[in-house]
Amino acid sequence: MAGAPRWIAPALEDGANVLYLQGRWRLPHVPGIAAEIDALRLAGDHCVLDGSRLEELDTAAGFLLLRRLAALGCVSGTVEVRDMADGHARLLTLVRERMATPSVAAPSGRHALLQRLGRATVRLGRILRAQVAFLGEVGLELAALVRRPRLFRFKETVSQFEVVTLDAIPIVALVTFLIGVVFAYLLGVQAQRFGATIFVVDGVGIAICRELSPILVAVIVAGRSGAAFTAQIGSMKVQEETDAIRTLGLSTIQVLVVPRLVAIMAGLPLLVFVGDLAGIAGGILIGAAQLDISPSAFIARLHTVLPMTAFVVGVAKAPVFAAFIALIACRMGLSVARDARSVGEHTTSTVVQSIVWVIVLDAAFAVALQRLGV
Amino acid sequence: METVLEVRDIVTRFHADVVHDGVSFTVQRGEVLALIGGSGTGKSVLLKEMIGLLRPTAGSVRLLGADVWQADEEQMNGLRRRFGMLFQDGALFSSLTVAENIAVPFREHTDLPEALIAPLVGFKLSLVGLDPDTGRKTPAELSGGMRKRVALARALALEPEILFLDEPTSGLDPIGARAFDKLVRALSDSLGLTVFMVTHDLDTLLSIIDRTIALSKGKVIADGPIAEVMKSEHPWIQEYFSARAPHEEGTR
Repeated sequence: MAGAPRWIAPALEDGANVLYLQGRWRLPHVPGIAAEIDALRLAGDHCVLDGSRLEELDTAAGFLLLRRLAALGCVSGTVEVRDMADGHARLLTLVRERMATPSVAAPSGRHALLQRLGRATVRLGRILRAQVAFLGEVGLELAALVRRPRLFRFKETVSQFEVVTLDAIPIVALVTFLIGVVFAYLLGVQAQRFGATIFVVDGVGIAICRELSPILVAVIVAGRSGAAFTAQIGSMKVQEETDAIRTLGLSTIQVLVVPRLVAIMAGLPLLVFVGDLAGIAGGILIGAAQLDISPSAFIARLHTVLPMTAFVVGVAKAPVFAAFIALIACRMGLSVARDARSVGEHTTSTVVQSIVWVIVLDAAFAVALQRLGV
Repeated sequence: METVLEVRDIVTRFHADVVHDGVSFTVQRGEVLALIGGSGTGKSVLLKEMIGLLRPTAGSVRLLGADVWQADEEQMNGLRRRFGMLFQDGALFSSLTVAENIAVPFREHTDLPEALIAPLVGFKLSLVGLDPDTGRKTPAELSGGMRKRVALARALALEPEILFLDEPTSGLDPIGARAFDKLVRALSDSLGLTVFMVTHDLDTLLSIIDRTIALSKGKVIADGPIAEVMKSEHPWIQEYFSARAPHEEGTR
């Protein structure tokens, strides 16, 4: 350190270390003060703190000084204080009393790759196991419902149905309509080269009804209602509302899960039907505008080429997707820990898990139905 | 005596509800002051108006010589470094560990190197009576009392001149509550800290408070040392203290 010390002027008086503290020992100056404190050397383990030139002192600066002195061997018995304002002396006393052995409370750093992989695997296993256990619990509650139908919460189910289904109609119609438009357009460009534009009707009809509408609707509902279920139930968990439900002798599954499960299982097939209509409408629009297929010709052709099974398969997949979305969303909601971050994490996880499951299930359906010749 | 806080003719209206109807008082440096009042009398609202979180309908607040509601963002940030606030449930950031929570003011408002922040965070924890190892936990792992202590450590991080506390002892057991009181008083005595708290806790009022302000129906109905306030004829104050009286006599 060059030049005269700015914060501490050490001196030897009658063989004792005297440290003249000077200036304003406040937090903004702490980096400079700390540098001088760290450079401090003492002869022996006795020292006197002179406060006659000290203008201000706060706990951070006081703590760093006392910590350094303790490291140099000066503890409470061997540090004297003189000419110090009452407030400053009291502050130093408080700091000394409250000073614990300082342990570094660093954030719990990063893990190595292998460790993270292991942790993730274990976590995945836990999630799957918990999911199966939850499925069993819900199954038991549904069985109880068969024996005592009075337990069923009709009002709650209807209100969930409204939010999940009716309120989703505009967005579902819009998205599937646009996909119908895009699909018919792309197909039309190809078909036009062979002069076979009429086959666009076959392609649009089957693709929309069998695959596109169910998948799109399930993804929309997973993002919309799945996320909402987790966030709602998770916040209730944070506010201890789920504990209150249980304390009142009710079952959280009966009150929170079953109505949502029923509402979404009933609603999703209807939404898929809406999606079918909107997607085909998109096809009709492109047919009329680009491919010289009049709407009536389009519909007439659709009657002959769209097999009933395509529609039924599409609609029948919906309740299965719905059940997965509802079970994942509700379980993630109920397993939220008591803090805000956890609600966010679980909501994200719900959306990711539901979408992945919807696509996996859809692939399984495609393969199985192919083998069965449906 | 230096005035550090001056509240002048505060009026607060939410739609048709008049919460404050001309509230005025001043606070001197080093005072430990309590604001009492029934539920819904706008104590927490007043607190938020004093620290610039909620704009009053009319009136002014001078905090450490600056008008809170006239100050620009830069002045206000300067002010924010000079007071600390303890929210009712701690309001710790749940995505950070305890140590990171306390480090936030250091990192945002000072140029301290990380090598100094870590020991200072540990010291702040021990200052509020917690084990420095608590720093590794997340807020969700703490009890209510510990959460309040951590929040106090965070509020004290920048060595504030004024500390605002919103119901610091609510939700704590009596032992924890008295320990918290003692801690606040010790900090005030040795650091020269001015403390302004909203409280319902009569034990706090009777033990560590220099001055009490009572709020009722949007007005200040009493302002003075607790003994004086208790003598007030106002019906609400009579009821407030008599609700406690029989038990009080029984224990003394």
